[in-house]
Amino acid sequence: MSSSPAGAAADSVQKVYVHGTAVHRSWADRSASLTDLIFSATRTALERASIRWRDIDSVVLGAHDVTDGRSLTSMVTAPAAGAYLKDEIRLGEDGASAFVLGTAQVRSGSCGACIVAAWGRASESDPDAVAAALFDPFFSQPLGLTEITVSALRAGAALARYPGYQEWRGPAGARRRAAAGVEARRPAVQLPLRSGELPVWSDIVAVAVLSAQPGPVEVRGVGMSTEPYQVGDRDLLGLPALSQASGQALRSAGCAVGEVGVLELDGLTLFDEALALEAVGAASAGDGMRVLAQRSDINADGGFAAGYCAPAMGLVRICAAAGRLTGGSDLALATGSTVVAAQGQAAIVLSRNQGGG
Amino acid sequence: MAELTADQEPVPPLTIAGHWDFRYQYFAGDAASRFFHELGNGRIMGTLCPQCQRVLVPARGFCDACYVSTTDWRQVGDRGRLETFTILASRFPGLPDPPVVIGYVTLAGASTALLNFVLGLDLTDVEAAATRLLAQPAVEVRFRDQREGRITDFFFQLADA
Repeated sequence: MSSSPAGAAADSVQKVYVHGTAVHRSWADRSASLTDLIFSATRTALERASIRWRDIDSVVLGAHDVTDGRSLTSMVTAPAAGAYLKDEIRLGEDGASAFVLGTAQVRSGSCGACIVAAWGRASESDPDAVAAALFDPFFSQPLGLTEITVSALRAGAALARYPGYQEWRGPAGARRRAAAGVEARRPAVQLPLRSGELPVWSDIVAVAVLSAQPGPVEVRGVGMSTEPYQVGDRDLLGLPALSQASGQALRSAGCAVGEVGVLELDGLTLFDEALALEAVGAASAGDGMRVLAQRSDINADGGFAAGYCAPAMGLVRICAAAGRLTGGSDLALATGSTVVAAQGQAAIVLSRNQGGG
Repeated sequence: MAELTADQEPVPPLTIAGHWDFRYQYFAGDAASRFFHELGNGRIMGTLCPQCQRVLVPARGFCDACYVSTTDWRQVGDRGRLETFTILASRFPGLPDPPVVIGYVTLAGASTALLNFVLGLDLTDVEAAATRLLAQPAVEVRFRDQREGRITDFFFQLADA
């Protein structure tokens, strides 16, 4: 198929479609380098999209230097994601933000087909130690802040304010424990968070192939927003950046959250997922944990417990949402949170393309 | 010249160790430098946003919500409520041995919450300690005798300790 926006006027706005996705999870596979993993997942996504690599115009990457342990990591890893002699954008952000930029490239008409890739390989380092390095050296590092620590602080605030969180954390966590991978890959318990509420570290590559040509899933709306850096300035329970990003995505898609059948919401821990449900409007304030416990279709693969490594997770949720749309639902909302400690949020509304593609 | 084919005997996968150890010097800037200097004097200071009138603690040079420079300085109180907490179970370089409690407190007169260690709590039973802290008890600031102009010059202590 031709990937170029043939016949489109230079100033026209293109529709954007997801043609193929791939999520590869593994753990400490010594037979594969990081670039091997990226290449494998990208090839799989291209094959599923039935788009030839030579028809790809641009590549957008979400990767972290400190996670990869490679200074300017995309210099090393970009060719594995198909960037050789392509328009390439490198983001130190979550893969959902990369997806938004990839969408913008196609929608603007500046390219016809785009690869969006994001990855993280937790088995090559200590994710907690890496996370500690993300925080400022004056106010946060001396006190031991990490991504998990902030989630624990968020959990403490939720338990103090919302009685339902204590009541429903057991049932909600049980479902995540049932879906979990290897217990030894969870970080150390940080009360008030408990073991089953913590992520299972994983090596993950997520890839989506976008095109202006009609395909099975359409990108209907996107939104992004950012909170203050200082955790003490933030509304830890309200997640206002997520509310704003999801609201923007839903408005641009012309739909309400109540119409969305597929919810794939990035959250580092059980409490982050529950609060995300409230932030996007799928649960009322204080009721997110109950809804998470009672709806097994939210992050149906097990969410944080199915394998986690920033900054791949927003794109993992988008890929999951796209896959579930082709299974019958008409609308999906996927979100991705980015460093530090969900300071930035991106939201994407997808719809099943009735005409196929 | 020797040739290799796809069915060659596999070799052990190679793994090499890596370690980053670069040196940096971080410049705190005027606002944070004064904040830390005042800690040395036993005072916790914030800066006032002239637009939203929030007192931002720790002090900083601008309000990111209003996107204007801060103007005046305000000393904030030494008491507040423990809004949230966590008990660190991992050992990190430069931190006391676990378990360690850290928490956010909005001190009297401040508009934003400040992070620090919460000391003076019996942690022999961390679950019991967590239950007590979930009640969001009142805390007060305690300055260390030996201060060096760092965030660790003070800590929080339960007011009824």
